[in-house]
Amino acid sequence: MKKPWKLLETLLIAVLMLTLLPQTAAADKGQTEQRTDNYLRKVRQKGELVMGTSPDYPPYEFVKNINGKSKIVGMDVEVGEKIAHDMGVKLVVRSMDFDSLLVGLETGKVDMVIAGMNATPKRAQSVAFSQPYYRSEQKLLIRTEDKGKYHNYKSFAGKSIGAQTGSMQATMLKKQAKNVKLKTMDKDNDLVLGLKTHKVDAVSVDKATAEAFAQNTDGIMVIPAGLKTESSATSVAFHKGANSLVKSANKSIAEIKQKDLINKKYLPQAGKYLTSGKTKKEVKASNSMWAYKDFFIAGVGYTLFISAISVFFGFLLGAILAFMRLGHNQIARSIATAYVEFIRGTPLMVQLLFVYFGLGLVINIPALLSGIIAVSLNSAAYVAEVIRSGINSIAVGQTEASRSLGLSRTATMRYVIMPQAMKNIWPALGNEFVSLIKESSIVSVIGVKDLIYQSRVVQADTYRGVMPLVITMILYFIITFGLSSLMKVIERKMNHD
Amino acid sequence: MTNAKPVIKVEHLQKKFGSNEVLKDINAQVNEGQVICLIGPSGAGKSTFLRCLNLLDQPSSGKVIFEDKELTALSEDQLDKLRERMGMVFQQFNLFPHMSIIENIKLAPMKVKGLSDSDAKAKGLELLDQVGLADKADAFPTSLSGGQQQRVAIARALAMDPEVMLFDEPTSALDPEMVGEVLKVMQDLAQKGMTMVVVTHEMGFAKNVADEVWFMADGYIQEKAAPQQFFAQPQTPRAQDFLARVLEA
Repeated sequence: MKKPWKLLETLLIAVLMLTLLPQTAAADKGQTEQRTDNYLRKVRQKGELVMGTSPDYPPYEFVKNINGKSKIVGMDVEVGEKIAHDMGVKLVVRSMDFDSLLVGLETGKVDMVIAGMNATPKRAQSVAFSQPYYRSEQKLLIRTEDKGKYHNYKSFAGKSIGAQTGSMQATMLKKQAKNVKLKTMDKDNDLVLGLKTHKVDAVSVDKATAEAFAQNTDGIMVIPAGLKTESSATSVAFHKGANSLVKSANKSIAEIKQKDLINKKYLPQAGKYLTSGKTKKEVKASNSMWAYKDFFIAGVGYTLFISAISVFFGFLLGAILAFMRLGHNQIARSIATAYVEFIRGTPLMVQLLFVYFGLGLVINIPALLSGIIAVSLNSAAYVAEVIRSGINSIAVGQTEASRSLGLSRTATMRYVIMPQAMKNIWPALGNEFVSLIKESSIVSVIGVKDLIYQSRVVQADTYRGVMPLVITMILYFIITFGLSSLMKVIERKMNHD
Repeated sequence: MTNAKPVIKVEHLQKKFGSNEVLKDINAQVNEGQVICLIGPSGAGKSTFLRCLNLLDQPSSGKVIFEDKELTALSEDQLDKLRERMGMVFQQFNLFPHMSIIENIKLAPMKVKGLSDSDAKAKGLELLDQVGLADKADAFPTSLSGGQQQRVAIARALAMDPEVMLFDEPTSALDPEMVGEVLKVMQDLAQKGMTMVVVTHEMGFAKNVADEVWFMADGYIQEKAAPQQFFAQPQTPRAQDFLARVLEA
């Protein structure tokens, strides 16, 4: 038992450090906030301006395969480039779920958010908005077969309209279209897919998005929304109090408006990326899944990487927790029990967001590392229970016989209990690892480029909803089936011994 | 036997499980070479008493003295050292199912005493021969009958050269036709001078092999006597009643 104790010590020290760090960092933060507005100075110091966006919203922002590398492009990125250029710094684009963007801003993961975001009064309470850089009209996407049936949102009484979760469209529909069934989803792609498969009868988006979809997807068309727009102006969001950044951005935006850069330069540029200057037919050909194989390969790579590391640390920590729970030290037992119960009683999604954003307030943990930490910590709790119940399943007579022969507690565990327990533990552990691989897909929420994330990107890029999902499913199945087969081979070997 | 040296001494031993007082006040002594048979009705605390001797159960109060050492005062490491000198045989055999018979026997001599593999094996084969199972060395426990398994368990305990052997109802889980082979091995052991404490319901064995019979009931040792005397003239009403029932059956 000496080694586990050493590890435990290290672990406790790590926890201590984690709890101490916040205080020092918080103190730092307090100071900067008192003497407001170091923001611009700080951005210039590090020489880069970090822009957060959710790249599934063409033509505002989307991912494009350029020379074999995936890059976030679009009108908003052009706006971001302009703002960064005017500040004299480099633009860094960081991808996140739309819902996570403002949290990312508050927790300092990004310096600004440009994501086709409307400056609603509610949002303005928690962030500082620039002047609007673009005004859009609201449109509805409908199926071409319904042409003439619907004219604007009023024609949809009793029917359903889809909108992106948390978007301005969703809010408007909720307020104005009282007799319409509102369905929200995270991604516009899913909404369009829902439209084609009759899950919804229309999708509420702004003009630029609507036209991009209509151009690239068969069987859908654009009609006016007829919605009263309170604020259809998209703005750049900054951290509350970052007035120096807002001021600098406003200057850039004024120039953008004055020269009408959006319509003259940025939108055409984005359109070029969307179609790569090809005809509709050619676009379709380049949208074949084979052209996107590098995306899927990268996704499989990330998923395997995250899973492998998380399995390793999850197993290590899980084994420590199991022995803490089985041991005689009351304090260690309570800690381990509390940990296991707490982790198993809260969703992985919340744990992930807590590690990324919550701890992110204190120490800046990159998304990939946050994902690995959250998945490992989560898996450890389940592994601990698998190991503990495996050991408990061995009859107490085995321990008594071994101890009566003079074998120590450790020797008994090592030579008598564990070899027998492993036969129970191994299959259950295999199941746990398979579910870890599947559940690791949640890291896509914070922008880790795993398989799910890549399938989203391919969906957004190709305007094809189902095919990327099918391929993703098959790839996940190959990985998990491969793993469980491997575990079975080892299990069979173990039983032969 | 009169001037034999004591191996185990028990003073005012008490054992409670929660509020249930199983052993109330036990005082006893086992001398070198003695065979003690513990008999009595079920629930009398016989097994608990035996398990308190090597501290598989921790006594609630009182002393257990083995080789001049007070066991309840020892650290776990020291206790491990003394446990190897007290062999124990269980009702359920408790062989290690993931090891062959010879591996079962070799484990403790190698890991605790540091014997080489070949020395441990030689010793194991000799002991298997002694219990009549030399041909089963490479078999696995599940392929053996209950009687054979129990004989292996005895050989396994003997491999540590114990000072004393504790038997906890060694034949109670066996089919009737297998009881004899196990009792035979135990009888041989007694004849070789092994100190033994045996919890048993085999009255024939107690009568023929024991030097002393201890009758336990209600958490006390009610009577200690030579077997001939005990079975002919039990002193306490508790023992008379018990014998009447057992012999009737």
